[in-house]
Amino acid sequence: MTGSAALELRGIRKAYPGIVAVDDVDLTLYAGEIHALVGENGAGKSTLAGIAAGERAADAGTVTAAGTVGLVHQHFELVQRLRVWENVLLGREPRKGMEIDAAAARAHVLDLAQRNGLQIEPDAAVESLPVGVQQRVELLRELDRNPAVLLLDEPTAALAPAEIASFFATIVQLAQRGTAVLIVTHKLQEVIDYATRITVMRHGRVVERMRTGETTVDAIARAMVGGELPVVAQRRPTQPRPCLRVRMPELTLDVNGGEIVGIAGVEGNGQTALVDVIAGLANAEGIVEIDAGDRPNLGIIPQDRQTEALVMTWPVVDNVILGRQSILRHGATIDRARAIADAQQIEKQYDVRAASLKTPIRALSGGNQQKVVVGRALIDDPALIVAYNPTRGIDVGAAALVQSRLIEARNRGAAVLLVSFELDEIFALADRILVMYRGGIVGEIDARDDGARAEVGRLMAGAR
Amino acid sequence: MSGIFGALIVLTLIKATPLIYAALGGVISERSGVVNIALEGMMATGAFTAVIVSYASHSALAGLLAAVLAGALVGLVLAIAATRFKVDQIVAGMGINLICSGAAAYGLVLIFNQPGASAQVPALGRQYWLLVLLAFALAVALQWVLQRTPWGLRVRACGENPRAAAAAGIDPLALRMWAVTYSGMLAALGGAFLSIGELNLYSDGMTAGRGFIALAAVIFGRWNPLGAAGAALVFGFFEALQYVLQGRIAWLPADAMQALPYLAALFALAGITGRVRAPASDGVPY
Repeated sequence: MTGSAALELRGIRKAYPGIVAVDDVDLTLYAGEIHALVGENGAGKSTLAGIAAGERAADAGTVTAAGTVGLVHQHFELVQRLRVWENVLLGREPRKGMEIDAAAARAHVLDLAQRNGLQIEPDAAVESLPVGVQQRVELLRELDRNPAVLLLDEPTAALAPAEIASFFATIVQLAQRGTAVLIVTHKLQEVIDYATRITVMRHGRVVERMRTGETTVDAIARAMVGGELPVVAQRRPTQPRPCLRVRMPELTLDVNGGEIVGIAGVEGNGQTALVDVIAGLANAEGIVEIDAGDRPNLGIIPQDRQTEALVMTWPVVDNVILGRQSILRHGATIDRARAIADAQQIEKQYDVRAASLKTPIRALSGGNQQKVVVGRALIDDPALIVAYNPTRGIDVGAAALVQSRLIEARNRGAAVLLVSFELDEIFALADRILVMYRGGIVGEIDARDDGARAEVGRLMAGAR
Repeated sequence: MSGIFGALIVLTLIKATPLIYAALGGVISERSGVVNIALEGMMATGAFTAVIVSYASHSALAGLLAAVLAGALVGLVLAIAATRFKVDQIVAGMGINLICSGAAAYGLVLIFNQPGASAQVPALGRQYWLLVLLAFALAVALQWVLQRTPWGLRVRACGENPRAAAAAGIDPLALRMWAVTYSGMLAALGGAFLSIGELNLYSDGMTAGRGFIALAAVIFGRWNPLGAAGAALVFGFFEALQYVLQGRIAWLPADAMQALPYLAALFALAGITGRVRAPASDGVPY
């Protein structure tokens, strides 16, 4: 059931230097509906949500809301060192004389949580809470302002499958009570399961409006990409040979050459520590051995390309050298001619769109930057490839290309350790799946088994 | 011996007082997210302004009030640089330090026609004990404000994550601006205590790095008002000790003795490295 218009966006436009992020967009949300806003990375969804919530100003267009507009950010905006109730009531603290009335504040937050079917401990420090509970805190902060419109930016990105179901139970309840809900997401199954209407954006424009009853996941995906979906490379039979051996007190891990081992898990369960230890960035008690044969040891695709993989102000060529100095060494200097040849090879193999290889890499789109990172990790044909969220935040075309190159490396006999927060990606690529929970590996699942997905979901949530 | 100990206690209180004011100023600024390396310049501004206004008006009290106002003004300059213009806070702070001490040195020549030191001016006299008490009272009050009041909660939120504060409907820029202005007022009060409290004149370089020692007290006190005041007392004690010991230990040169408070600050900071956590957004422009 839907009611009157709760939010109307008319002719919204927003440009940043060199790019029009949102271009003449109209969107109406009705009271009581759950509306999905989908599109590839960089399609302008988050920008539009920010404008709708009044967090940034549009260059043109009007925003009309029937009440307050709440926004739950993809990366929560919480004060980590403050308590739950302090975060929820920040800016609207109940007073007793000149002081904050802490008792009233606690009671208020408990009541608010109860009314919305959410479990919360008002006195807990936010930094001590798991990601899923932190999201509840941010949601409560927005709900306390009784929003007519609630915008959720990638709300399930950091949640385990079980948490996702209970999160949507709360959202559906909210909609039934008359709140207009907009979900910005790229998880299309959730769109089909929970939304009533869908708006698809591409390159800053609305390209299609659909109803969930009349469409499919594939149709939405094609609308997002603007054509047929790219095909990912096929895996071929390989001869496994031992390559990576990790023996730590809380964790045992073996990866063979010729296989992709996927590490599934909710963000923050020890994946970063594991990758750092294997990459030699951190020390740990135990053994990490790589049997590389006659190949270079390790190619690594770090989690955050901007802070861990690239020097953003350097040209593409110099970034291709980074980390390969010993390979490119020629006497006392770097063999620049070879570095340039390598960069050209990556540019060709990965379809990198750069004005020139001398352009600072920050001028490239995220997808193109990631192609350089992946190309650099794979160019010397290493025995072990560690890929940490290799397709995070890049468009479907670039993601398919990155995934294809990883499968081809596997087919050539490389051992691939894929750590990803995207279950879809794990199931698309991995031969074996290990689930990480609280720093340890809690289970191994064959990706081809029936019910493997449900089992992985259960393990991710900590079930034994 | 009791004479020495009594003197040591009294001297500790006197030497700690300017440090407490400046350290409280540092706490309030840094808890809001603005690193205040300009405490030294703010103290110099307070010390100098107190002297010239006291000289012109023949009232030490007027000098004191003028010092606080001047401190607010310098605080506002840092605040505007750090918030509206997003200047690097360390660079802005260093700039303010250089300008303030330079302006005071120039002012000495301009007003008193002599470099190095001012003429003698009306001082607070024994009333300065009220300023000593006020320093401790303010430490308690600021602790209460930061921990218990809505404004304090908002200051802490802005120092930790100004974007979260903004998402909760708070204007982090305005809040930081006020916090840094208060910071300037407090540090200037500490400076005025040096010139027209303990003494009755301004001499070039009289703050002698006390702003930086106060900054060390902020860190040693873990960015808490009471902790910072306690640390200021410790550093004040070493400064007092240095005076009391002077001439009593023949083989130790006076210069080495004068280094005592600075060494204390150095060792204090070295000892707690890695065990304290600054506000998460301290020094990060919003």
